[in-house]
Amino acid sequence: MSVVQKTGPSSKWYLPGIVVGLGITIRHLFQNLMNPKKMPTINYPEEKYEYGPRFKGNHVLTVKKDGSLRCTACMLCATNCPAQCITIVASEHNDPTVEKFPINYEIDMLRCVFCGFCEEACPVDAIRMGPEWQTPGLNGSQFNYDIERLAYRSNLKGGVLSIVDDDERHKSGI
Amino acid sequence: MPKCTINGKEIEVKEGTSIIQAMTENGQRIAHYCWHPGLSVAGVCRLCMVEIEGNPRVQIACNTMVTEGMKINNTSEKVKEAVKWGLDFHLINHPLDCPICDQAGECGLQDQYMEYGIYDSEMAERKVKKHKVVSLGDRIVLDSERCILCSRCVRFTDEVTGTKELGIFNRGDRSEIGTFEDRPLNNKYSINTVDICPVGALTSKDFRFKQRVWYLKDGDTICTGCSTGCNTKVYFNREGIFRIKPRFNKEVNGYWMCDEGRDLYKVFNRENRQIKALKKLGHSFEEMLPGAAAKDIFKNLSTSLQGASLVVTGQLSNEDLQKAFSFFTGALNSKQIYHWKNNPESWSDFDGLLLRGDKNPNTKGVEKCFEEFQIQTRFEDLEAALEQSQISTLVVMVPENIFAYPDLSAKLKHFGKAKNLILLSSSLVSLEDVRGGAHCWVVPMKTTIEKSGSFINHNGLTQFFKKVTTLVSEALTVDQALTLMGGGEVTVEMPHSSSETRFLVDYNHRSDQVKAEAYKKNEFSFKRGTL
Repeated sequence: MSVVQKTGPSSKWYLPGIVVGLGITIRHLFQNLMNPKKMPTINYPEEKYEYGPRFKGNHVLTVKKDGSLRCTACMLCATNCPAQCITIVASEHNDPTVEKFPINYEIDMLRCVFCGFCEEACPVDAIRMGPEWQTPGLNGSQFNYDIERLAYRSNLKGGVLSIVDDDERHKSGI
Repeated sequence: MPKCTINGKEIEVKEGTSIIQAMTENGQRIAHYCWHPGLSVAGVCRLCMVEIEGNPRVQIACNTMVTEGMKINNTSEKVKEAVKWGLDFHLINHPLDCPICDQAGECGLQDQYMEYGIYDSEMAERKVKKHKVVSLGDRIVLDSERCILCSRCVRFTDEVTGTKELGIFNRGDRSEIGTFEDRPLNNKYSINTVDICPVGALTSKDFRFKQRVWYLKDGDTICTGCSTGCNTKVYFNREGIFRIKPRFNKEVNGYWMCDEGRDLYKVFNRENRQIKALKKLGHSFEEMLPGAAAKDIFKNLSTSLQGASLVVTGQLSNEDLQKAFSFFTGALNSKQIYHWKNNPESWSDFDGLLLRGDKNPNTKGVEKCFEEFQIQTRFEDLEAALEQSQISTLVVMVPENIFAYPDLSAKLKHFGKAKNLILLSSSLVSLEDVRGGAHCWVVPMKTTIEKSGSFINHNGLTQFFKKVTTLVSEALTVDQALTLMGGGEVTVEMPHSSSETRFLVDYNHRSDQVKAEAYKKNEFSFKRGTL
């Protein structure tokens, strides 16, 4: 990187620069006062910004029609995770058609880099990156999200339905 | 000795060698499922296709013997096409179970698909549904949909164990592996069928869903389950050991090992290990670090350690035994060393394949040590002396494989009749067992997979093993523990550290490292505050 350092008499005259800068500021002030609707500032937290549908925020674990977790505990997300923030403990399910399911699924949000590799790796659409990002916590342990928080937090209203359905797949002969 | 050319490379093989044997022995890659070097030839998977010069069609390599001047090729387009379509037939009814299949990562189908397949299936028909999650026995689960009917497991129970529990039932695409009524797959070698299954049709109940195989590393060691001394591989990661598989050794175990030996990973894992040292003076227990406990023994018992008695078992390696024997006969001037034998009446038992009645890996080594140091003692004498409270200090090398010593806790209570009891134990010692005696120390020790050494098996064969991993880092080896108990010091040598720089941890140092003075001076600075 090269840095251009001006060392002429012109660089010592800073007052004209300040006047130009103040001019720009005052112009914007009057523009905003005349036309407040076009003002780019929003009154957070009363108003919230609408992000695009592809925004990668906090994770959501999707559910099946009966409300149980879609996740099959294949650990591909945990394998693919560059920050190694996903911990899964798999177990045998009583239902032989389900076979394997996670009894524990934890994401360490402070480690997560929100790259979205987990939802790319997931073969059954069990994990998605949602629109939320404003998630305060009082200490580190509150950023360790478990199944209860990832799949059934109150604003998800009983869980997000996965697009992959076992019954439909079985009917179509897969 | 016929000579043949395989993929342009001329090799010489023994009479009666099949092409696939010749290829695998010479490091050539060939796709196969049903062929296994330890089993008979079935020729059912039709995947090991090779092109032989002068033969218009491709042939299977497992059932074709090498003849003089044969020119074999398995890299041509014709062969690849044949393997690809063979694989397509295998995958017609194979479910898309890879995410929940335990075999994923070490699966033959995945490997061959990545090498020969990569296509969309041409089948318009629905997949045939079969039984899933069928319990075949105490240790095995069957998933018929994943099975490709290579019949390796059926041949294993027919030929190796001779128990013949498995069979193939029904015909065509409805064929399934299964057991006969009232005859579950419960033989002592049943998990070998899981090892040889090229797909995830047979899975072990014990290992099922515990870990994905790509999270596991492996290391070579020797089984401590019995005096056969099978060569094994342990699979571990930082959470512990998860499974043990056999490693090929023609002279000892071939390709197989028993189910009992596979359970031994439990004695190595932290939950069954003594991690903190215990010290008991009178009735109060105190927890200590292992090294501190060994030093404490020297501090408290330095004089009464002289003439102490020692109990050894066949679970120790030759190196540990040598150290213990020379320490006791030398520094402690004692010849009171006793060989603790568990159920010696069944030691000569042998089931004809691998399992032996002597559940210690190094009984021969112990006997050799007793001969070498000319010690002739009887364990019964020690027990009688303990009964009459004649033993003042007793050091016990507690066996690491506690499954082989069912009377362990009763014996430990009996040992507690000594005035000072020192237990060098890798396995967890319950407080109840050591509550009885006067003074007691329990020092955590390292297990076989955490140290290097050698065992002498039933046949007199000395087998060496290397350290695989460390599970309880603070535990001591026999060498360290006895040195500390004898008043010595144990130093941990840093790699590449010389005597002058002992206090500087400089093992990242490289000889060609640039010195600080050699760095270019930073001439890149702004002058601030001038107008």
